[in-house]
Amino acid sequence: MKNLYIFIAVLFIQWSFSLAKYDEFEDGDDIMEYDDNDFAEFEDVNEDVVTESPQRIITTEDDEEEATVELEGQDENQEDFDDTDTQEGDTESEPYDDEEFEGYEEKPDASHSKNKDPITIVNVPAHLQNSWESYYMEILMVTGLLAYIMNYIIGKNKNNRLAHAWFNTHRELLESNFALVGDDGTNKEATSTGKLNQENEHIYNLWCSGRVCCEGMLIQLKFLKRQDLLNVLARMMRPASDQVQIKVTMNDEDMDTYVFAVGTRKALVRLQKEMQDLSEFCSDKPKSGAKYGLPDSLAILSEMGEVTEGMMDAKMIHFLTHYADKIESVQFSDQFSGPKLMQEEGQLTKLPETKKTLLFTFNVPGSGNTSPKDMESLLPLMSMVIYSIDKAKKFRLNREGKQKADKNRARVEENFLKLTHVQRQEAAQSRREEKKRAEKERIMNEEDPEKQRRLEEAALRREQKKLEKKQMKMKQIKVKAM
Amino acid sequence: RSEPPVPGRYKPPATDTNPALEDPTPDYMNLLGMVFSMCGLMLKLKWCAWIAVYCSFISFANSRSSEDTKQMMSSFMLSISAVVMSYLQNPQPMSPPW
Repeated sequence: MKNLYIFIAVLFIQWSFSLAKYDEFEDGDDIMEYDDNDFAEFEDVNEDVVTESPQRIITTEDDEEEATVELEGQDENQEDFDDTDTQEGDTESEPYDDEEFEGYEEKPDASHSKNKDPITIVNVPAHLQNSWESYYMEILMVTGLLAYIMNYIIGKNKNNRLAHAWFNTHRELLESNFALVGDDGTNKEATSTGKLNQENEHIYNLWCSGRVCCEGMLIQLKFLKRQDLLNVLARMMRPASDQVQIKVTMNDEDMDTYVFAVGTRKALVRLQKEMQDLSEFCSDKPKSGAKYGLPDSLAILSEMGEVTEGMMDAKMIHFLTHYADKIESVQFSDQFSGPKLMQEEGQLTKLPETKKTLLFTFNVPGSGNTSPKDMESLLPLMSMVIYSIDKAKKFRLNREGKQKADKNRARVEENFLKLTHVQRQEAAQSRREEKKRAEKERIMNEEDPEKQRRLEEAALRREQKKLEKKQMKMKQIKVKAM
Repeated sequence: RSEPPVPGRYKPPATDTNPALEDPTPDYMNLLGMVFSMCGLMLKLKWCAWIAVYCSFISFANSRSSEDTKQMMSSFMLSISAVVMSYLQNPQPMSPPW
């Protein structure tokens, strides 16, 4: 029995030290020394070791021994260890009689077969690994967000600077022409705020008023969405420019009746499709302005030739040729009602309201990469706007032109009425029925029986009269038909 | 050239309420953000939650000044909570789709 315990102890010690110190097994002499020392140290502790199930100890020790043998076998640099370890194993079993281990042969065999399974290194889940590297996707996401925020701040500031640069350049001209520059509609009185009204991070408004011919002028600085990173990336594919849109609302008496537009061909084609007035009054395709000396890039849409003649005076041509690259579209219209609305059945019973308007759309040079200095180049365009206001007031159609214009407008109105005829009839019918019902209710609600009777009689008489009238009409029509 | 201006014809700037011209981006992004954050919360998908955060940021950047800040904040908070919940439930890092 004692021999057995010694064997167990030796195996146990062997296992623990082989795990920790591979290098020490290179020297064969050392092993023997180790064993001697271990024997000496652990002799007392043998009892404690044995209290555990000895069989299990053997098997685990065998496992570990086999394990260490196999592990070291895999290591290319440590081929020596194989020899030393097998030697070791042999030296271990040599002092012991084989007879003693008859009962235990199965156990080593059993553990043998078990140990043929390869070692699997357990996959430690990434979040327990304690390394930031495994979270690289998250770091990417956060970096993206930070980049977005940075771009937002930078873009917002740039737009702000551009807007104020524009305003500073144009302030003088505007203040000399308009009594009221800048109004955000919150004050009760008409006081100039002298500031731009920021609608958005990329849209700035300015309302000017107090000039002779016009009701007012709304200037919209429509910058590119520099504050949105997606937009910035999209613009890298498709360059676009900042725009300045000016809308002058004219007084009714200060502008004659005509519809006229000039601008880039592409812009005019688009406007002709979208705008209500251009599509109805200017039926021809945009014509080239070469006849008047305009560059090829610009085209003209007009209600009638006379209007074009009148509009294209020397100064206007000068403006248009010199600043053709900055002009997107210029539209003078007395029937302006905005873009075509999506008309649904039975909804539109009236023509949309029209206002006499002058519309200007200018492109800021730089095609996106603008600097505040570029704003100065837009100043002459503002002069053109002022000049156009005065011109629109002065320009009057002659008699022939006026007749044509009136005819056009009447035609458009008639078309519209025809379209909506059915709807209007239905509307009138429903109104009549409403009235009848209201009257009947009134009669019903009358407390006094006398009054009730009288009202009923009155209603009856009215009905009879109507019937008679209808019959008369039918008769007349029949006679006429005949 | 300056002309003598007519005294004070004022008018509040006609901020035209024509729905056809308004940019629908912030509304779409808001909706998309909420949908993605719901997906992220219910289906426990981390990438959904991250996309929701991005959507709410884009919606904020494109918003008009008249837009309700409460709606913006609520969509932002929802997307942040989706991200946080996904990570609390499953602290493993997000795996790329490839």
